[in-house]
Amino acid sequence: MVLVIIRTAVIFAVLLVVMRLMGKRQIGEMQPFELVITLLISELACIPMADTSIPLLYGVVSVLAIFVLHEGVMLLDLKVKPLKGVLSGKPAVVINKNGIDDYQLKKNDLDVSDLIESLRAAGYFSLDAIDYALYESNGTFSALPKADYERMQTSLPLVIVDNGRFDGKNIALTGLGRPYFEELLRAHGVKNVRRVLVLTADGGGKCYLQQKGERFTTFHVQYPHGATW
Amino acid sequence: MLAVCLLLAGAAVFEHFTIRSTFSGVLEELAALTEKTEEERANYEDARAVQRSWEAKKERLQVLLPHNDVMRMDNYLSETVRLVAEARYEEALPKLEVLTHLAETFPAAYRPSLANIF
Repeated sequence: MVLVIIRTAVIFAVLLVVMRLMGKRQIGEMQPFELVITLLISELACIPMADTSIPLLYGVVSVLAIFVLHEGVMLLDLKVKPLKGVLSGKPAVVINKNGIDDYQLKKNDLDVSDLIESLRAAGYFSLDAIDYALYESNGTFSALPKADYERMQTSLPLVIVDNGRFDGKNIALTGLGRPYFEELLRAHGVKNVRRVLVLTADGGGKCYLQQKGERFTTFHVQYPHGATW
Repeated sequence: MLAVCLLLAGAAVFEHFTIRSTFSGVLEELAALTEKTEEERANYEDARAVQRSWEAKKERLQVLLPHNDVMRMDNYLSETVRLVAEARYEEALPKLEVLTHLAETFPAAYRPSLANIF
């Protein structure tokens, strides 16, 4: 029985560390330790239930051990502040006044497309429409929009360059071709596309450009032949 | 939470002592049967008495131990009973050896040692 309790605690600790290392993308609205408990508890309850050669007591003891571990972690989470960050993680500010924080994105196993997807899900289509965006420790996404953000979202911005690579599908949607955007980047001082973290362009001609490790810029362009989307 | 901790601690202590005392009883009975078998004095009734005693203990043990582990004792004991009944003492002795080994090692297999945890 002591063996079952210790083994349960070991697996709990290992899963908790792995979940924390996996980053926020894997969590989805649960604290890491809550997800670990959800993962474990069903298996712990089911195995002795289905396999009659294992005493049912093993399942009961494991589930009770999980309960004690949960209460212990909750207690540490509430009472020991420095441990809160270790156990549950901290919110990651992925967009600030300077634009996208590439380091924070990488730290949480996310990329620019994930961020833009989260923004769209939250109702923000334009990167410059928000001042701050955060991935909370439970994996949910929060954003603080600019006061007049609705005015900034008049057309759907398409991702033209994502982390140093042109997005061929989106470029095809614009109908402008890759050379046009290469020239656009050169005109804004970008020598190598690999240096670009993100370039978006909306149908109204508004572009959002951020080079790696630099502050973002927005500018307006007139598309040739009155192109729009 | 405290109540659950106490319950788990109590259950662990109960398990430890139950397994230890049960298997020490089994070991004594097996030692007596082994001695009689070595002296070729053991008969069917002696072996059956050990088997009946084990079956009574088994009921409680199955709550605490995996049933497959308990069944290993059952199998060896059944073979021993048949061999002793037929006075095939030479063949019964290795079975008794295995049973003694199992009864000695079972309590250790559930102790919270590093080897058992991992």
